[in-house]
Amino acid sequence: MRIPITEDRDVARAVLEGNRRAAELGFDQVKQQKVSTAISELARNIIKYAGGKGAVIIRTVTESGREGLEVVATDRGPGIENVKEALEDHFSSSGTLGLGLPGVRRLMDEFSIRSEPGSGTTVTARIWA
Amino acid sequence: MTGSHASGMDTMTPEGLLALYGLKQEELEVLRTFGERVGDHLDEMISQWYGWLKTYPEFELFFSDPAVMERARGLQERAWEVFLSGKIDENYVRRRVEIGEVHARIGLPLSAYFAGINHFLIVIGEVAGQLGVPSEEWVQISSIITKLMHLETAVVVHTYNAVTEEALTAQAKSLMEMSTPVTEIWEGVLLLPIVGIIDSHRAQDIMNAGLTKIAETRARIFILDISGVGVVDTAVANYLINITRATRLMGCEATISGVSPAIAQTIVELGIDVGRMKTTATMQDALAGAFRRQGLEIRPATDGDVR
Repeated sequence: MRIPITEDRDVARAVLEGNRRAAELGFDQVKQQKVSTAISELARNIIKYAGGKGAVIIRTVTESGREGLEVVATDRGPGIENVKEALEDHFSSSGTLGLGLPGVRRLMDEFSIRSEPGSGTTVTARIWA
Repeated sequence: MTGSHASGMDTMTPEGLLALYGLKQEELEVLRTFGERVGDHLDEMISQWYGWLKTYPEFELFFSDPAVMERARGLQERAWEVFLSGKIDENYVRRRVEIGEVHARIGLPLSAYFAGINHFLIVIGEVAGQLGVPSEEWVQISSIITKLMHLETAVVVHTYNAVTEEALTAQAKSLMEMSTPVTEIWEGVLLLPIVGIIDSHRAQDIMNAGLTKIAETRARIFILDISGVGVVDTAVANYLINITRATRLMGCEATISGVSPAIAQTIVELGIDVGRMKTTATMQDALAGAFRRQGLEIRPATDGDVR
């Protein structure tokens, strides 16, 4: 399911959808919380850094017999100049905690990021049941 | 207000829509020529269409007033005229946005709108048959009509959704405004149960309501219960930390209660340093702590106390 993220309420919608899917897959409370938090983090980034030009895609994935949830957050924002820095704890370009992206990486089992300055950022994260 | 719902869809300009639906100017020209031939039959087409509409189960609900019906019919006649003239300009888009707005406002279900569109296609096919349009020509014309109909439907549905969502947002907002009931549960002790999702506006509301109440009541303890909060991400944690700090500046201590095992683990994985923030697992723990600091204790009543 693709949820366009343009304002705060869209973040809530994405979080609820992720939580619903996680519950469907039989994720325990902690895993559900992790998924919801990661989605919230990524969706808020789209609003904060990409001016609400992006979307969160949530889908169920299967790999060698196990099921998981894939979250793709993609935006057409300014992109990240230095991805390595953005993944370091307490690096923030906006004066906030600077734990968003590294936090998502820790919450999820798999994490990848592709960013092109000037054309946008796509984060793909997966968590397995 | 009119036309405001056209925003948000990148391709809501006539040019963008025509490109998206693969409609070329030559095709619109073909439609226009066909429209001229059909023009004389427009009145009877509309009559036939309304004949069908009257059989629609919920017809009475929306058109019980003949004046409303007459007005709708007039608007519809013009809408069909423009459709068959193939003139897809800003005026066309604006009118379709209006159709979406009206349908959403009166609560006409989209399924009824789709059924109406479908019946329009049936009626127009019948007229083409009466006019003796050769079948190979009709194949081309009907494909153009179908594309334009899809375009039109997209605009109406997009608008319909925008209006419906606006109403939902307004509802959510009014709920939100009611959702910061900071209460003085004991002398010097404030309690705010937070339920739902915390965004920046909500965080600001909580900050304002809390600090105002602290000033009013000279409270020393402010308990924020987050057991009903869906997500504590870095932004929410940041808000809570800031609320705690501001509270402390006012000589009051904040306690975040209702930290579930799942939230506790998530906060740790995010790497958030809660520092001097006071947190408890349950509201009961927070309350017990608050009373202790106020020099109060809760104990079973002895016989003498019970009145």
